[in-house]
Amino acid sequence: MATKKPEPKKKTAPKPKPAPKKAVPPPKAKPEQPKTKKTPEKPASKPVKPKSAASVKAAKELAKKKIEAPPVERKMIPRPEKEKEPAEYTDLRDDVKKILKDRFLPISIIDGIVEWILKDKKLHPKLKIIVEKALEDFTHNQIDPTEACGMVAAQSIGEPGTQMTMRTFHYAGVAEINVTLGLPRLIEIVDARSTPSTPMMNIYLRDEYRVNPDLAKEIANKIEITRLTDVADIEMDLVNITLTIKPNAKTMEKKSITLEEILDKVSNVKKVSAAKEKETIKVTLDDPGYKALQNINESLKNLKIKGIDGIKRVIIRKEPNEGYVIYSEGSNLKEVLDIDGVDPYRTTTNDIHAIARELGIEAARNMIIQEAFSTLSEQGLNVDMRHIMLVADVMSADGTVRAIGRHGVSGEKSSVLSRAAFEITVNHLLLASQRGESDTLNGVAENIIVGQPVNLGTGAIELVMSHKKQKQKGK
Amino acid sequence: MNYTRFEKARIIGARALQLSMGAPCLLVDLPKDLIDPVDIAMREFDEDAIPITVKRKER
Repeated sequence: MATKKPEPKKKTAPKPKPAPKKAVPPPKAKPEQPKTKKTPEKPASKPVKPKSAASVKAAKELAKKKIEAPPVERKMIPRPEKEKEPAEYTDLRDDVKKILKDRFLPISIIDGIVEWILKDKKLHPKLKIIVEKALEDFTHNQIDPTEACGMVAAQSIGEPGTQMTMRTFHYAGVAEINVTLGLPRLIEIVDARSTPSTPMMNIYLRDEYRVNPDLAKEIANKIEITRLTDVADIEMDLVNITLTIKPNAKTMEKKSITLEEILDKVSNVKKVSAAKEKETIKVTLDDPGYKALQNINESLKNLKIKGIDGIKRVIIRKEPNEGYVIYSEGSNLKEVLDIDGVDPYRTTTNDIHAIARELGIEAARNMIIQEAFSTLSEQGLNVDMRHIMLVADVMSADGTVRAIGRHGVSGEKSSVLSRAAFEITVNHLLLASQRGESDTLNGVAENIIVGQPVNLGTGAIELVMSHKKQKQKGK
Repeated sequence: MNYTRFEKARIIGARALQLSMGAPCLLVDLPKDLIDPVDIAMREFDEDAIPITVKRKER
């Protein structure tokens, strides 16, 4: 059943790549907050007229300043230009479009036709026949209206799902990054968990960064989180109540960290003053005490020297036809995209919510499709992509990523009876009666409950007498 | 009009019900051995003799 191809979708074939649309989300969201907060205060202070007018003005100016100040300038990295198609391609495409007129064929099919014809020039005179035939096949394979495609999709994903290994851990290639796969991952995707249990990123690099191992390493160092204990030893001096940080020169060089950087980070710690002493850093407490020393020691151990929060480990690998790619354990899409040298158009994460936040809902939809599809095919299950696309469409239809099930799509249905049929029946009915909700009986569950034909397939068709004069085809 | 498979099923079903209740057959030359109302309805459908169409919902 899974390999059947029941429904050609209306959308054009997706590219499995998440194809981020805009690399730079508007950074305005944050600065706007103070303004909205301030507005409700205005009416409250209205009675005192002269003073309030001034204060409102001041507040406005303040808000303005705040808006102007924070936006972090993000460089817009130009989209890699597509190779221009040779003229014969575009000409042929125009020919196809002429034949099609207003009729619709997916771009992928037109591309296929163009490719074939350019490969075999003899076909060119037959272009019209080919396009007509393709159109006929396409319309024939389209899903019929009122077909229960969601049901088919559910079955087609559910049945192979039963064959999935319950718990699989898998080591991706040579690099020992632990990835959740199989059923747990599929559940994670469909449930739209806010963070995946094993967040991961594939960080692609731009231009010279991806060919030069040193530059790639440099970026990896910027991304991977480095704590003070990774590059230095901390010694406690209980007599003088001081701490001595003894950096390890070798690892420091490997991570390209200077002593000054460490000093800078350490002096930012509260209630502490740090001073350089030859090759070490001496930390003295503003308010000396044994207990405080212990506390400071602990917090210094975990002090972040370099890197991005959330990224625990990175692995650089050289991929054929690509150059160096950074794989990371842990994910922080927002900050990784800001790093110079990272290709924002190809870098991905398996954190779907992060994608929805940073790159938009369409990118998230593509990522749901890609993740679910690869999770299934990893297990050797061939589920037609269009089933998964339907699921992803349902999940992302309202502009946010919603889970399938109680907390998401099913729980937010507009029909009372449908919700009652799903879970906690009595509660839903009681609440609905209190609110005086009505049910338009559009869905499947509602119609079954009231004993009507369901609005799908044969049940959705309305018959009428044809008034046209009978063409008696008496033979 | 090209009918979808659901529409076809619905039309043939409705017509077969009529036939089974005694409606006169609209075919001129009905073979003697064709007795089942569903078979007759299907033949009628193929001949385009059924005076029933569907009302498609406007999108």
